[in-house]
Amino acid sequence: MHRSTSWLVALALVLPAAAGAQTIRNPTLRRAQQAFDNLDYRQALTIAISSLRERLTGFERARAYELLGFTYSGMDSILKAVDAFKQVVLIEPERDLDPNRTSPKALSAFQVALTQILVVRQLRVDSVSFIGGQGAVGIRYTVTQPSRVVTRVTGGTLGSIRIDSTVANGQVNIRWPARMSSGDPVPAGTYNVVVEATVGQNSFSTSQPIRIAHGAVDTLPHLTSLPGYTYLPETEVPPKSWRPMGLALVYSGIALAGTSALSHGNLGSASMREGGMIGGGIVLAGFVMTLKKPAPQPARGNILYNSLLREQIAGRNTEIAQENTRRRQQVALSVVPLPRIGGGR
Amino acid sequence: MSGGRFGGLAVCALGALLTAQPLNRLSAQHVSVGPQIAFGDYREVSSDLHYRGTGLGVKATVLWKKFSADVVLSKVKYKPRTPAATANFDASEVDVRLRYYVTGPVSAELGFINRKMDPEFEAQSVGAVTLGARMAYVLGPGVHMSLNGGLLFGSKFSGGGTTSALGALQLGLGLTVDALHGRVLVTGDYGFQRFSRKTDDGSGALPAPIQQSLGRVGFAIAF
Repeated sequence: MHRSTSWLVALALVLPAAAGAQTIRNPTLRRAQQAFDNLDYRQALTIAISSLRERLTGFERARAYELLGFTYSGMDSILKAVDAFKQVVLIEPERDLDPNRTSPKALSAFQVALTQILVVRQLRVDSVSFIGGQGAVGIRYTVTQPSRVVTRVTGGTLGSIRIDSTVANGQVNIRWPARMSSGDPVPAGTYNVVVEATVGQNSFSTSQPIRIAHGAVDTLPHLTSLPGYTYLPETEVPPKSWRPMGLALVYSGIALAGTSALSHGNLGSASMREGGMIGGGIVLAGFVMTLKKPAPQPARGNILYNSLLREQIAGRNTEIAQENTRRRQQVALSVVPLPRIGGGR
Repeated sequence: MSGGRFGGLAVCALGALLTAQPLNRLSAQHVSVGPQIAFGDYREVSSDLHYRGTGLGVKATVLWKKFSADVVLSKVKYKPRTPAATANFDASEVDVRLRYYVTGPVSAELGFINRKMDPEFEAQSVGAVTLGARMAYVLGPGVHMSLNGGLLFGSKFSGGGTTSALGALQLGLGLTVDALHGRVLVTGDYGFQRFSRKTDDGSGALPAPIQQSLGRVGFAIAF
């Protein structure tokens, strides 16, 4: 008893904060709250019941029943506490108690109350963006009793589309591709996701407004290089060698030896002056070229590699161009849940 | 002489072919033209008729795809080097080569030479068709050398005479060095010709060979 009392005290301290922006203005209900805060349960009970006979706002009425629920829990009148909490949930279906700040008795009474009435709570629509036909919107809700639950999207030029129908109890997750029966994406606009649960004569429905916007699908940039691959130089400077000098000697030697060999015997020894001068010039040029940095030569392996790389990039860019053509015909859907006005019924 | 007319016509035809190209097509070619100093050694019949001389020449080269052509005009004033040779003469020579790149360093050559002597009877004027091959090699950046050789067919001489199929030969050496970013070329060429000519005055075939070594050094403007 002592433990539950301390829980209730703690609850009483945080209750004004939990009330959020709305405040209790009814003086009777304020007195009941004060009596509860002073742990005067009988006084709190009497005053809270009498406050319910007065004109209260929905918020104040829910607080009055909640106060009754806590008070009955504190007085160990669980059945009455459950009844009081049922009224709270019926007025505010989204109402939840903080398990860290509420006594276990009150919490269990609240949970029992939830199972005894039919409500659809915690309807959530994910805020997502996706390409039409390639994604879906996540929709979640909790139904407190086993029931037939129908989920529809209404509004705009759409009329009403049933997107799910199931028998469910507890948490339900569904995914909606945001497409119409024709397969086309849902037009841009503001819609309501309506969840309606039915058991026998009982039914409960709640809704969540959403806004669907259309946008262009991002296209892919063309590639100028492939990650991890770089173009290689198409020429390379060979190492210095004596090859120019050697070849100059060979060419000049062949010319001079050929002149000597081909010279006609009747005409005396051949003149080597002309060939010697030009041959000497060639040998000198070969010697200079041997000392000089060699000219860059085509690097065939690198040229082939670069050619293959260019082909790969061209192929990828062709694929990207085709993908971009396809993307330009697509639409990007953005689904954003809007603030809800009012509760369920 | 028929060889002279043939040479003149060929030079004119080649010149017309080159100049008839539209400017945009000329830009795709490599053309170079420039003067040369020529120096030669000429021998005829025996070692007693030995001449040496110097002169001037002009060389033009065209390169287009796998084809190239060289046209060389030269005039050398030969002077006697032996007592038996008594008179000076001028040798005006036209040497035309058309070349087709075959593979590696090798190109095939086809052309003609025509050498006319003035005074006409001091030495033998000659005309022949040349067929041979040329090997070219790049010694380094902008430095090219070449070695060519071949046979001279259908030789005609102003004083008569004939050569056998393998009796007329030529051998050559060439060097080109690019300067001023390839706008100017320094050129050097060496050509050796030997005609194993034989004459017959009715008493049997007599050898009357002709041999010339000609060196040329100059430059050319490339455009």
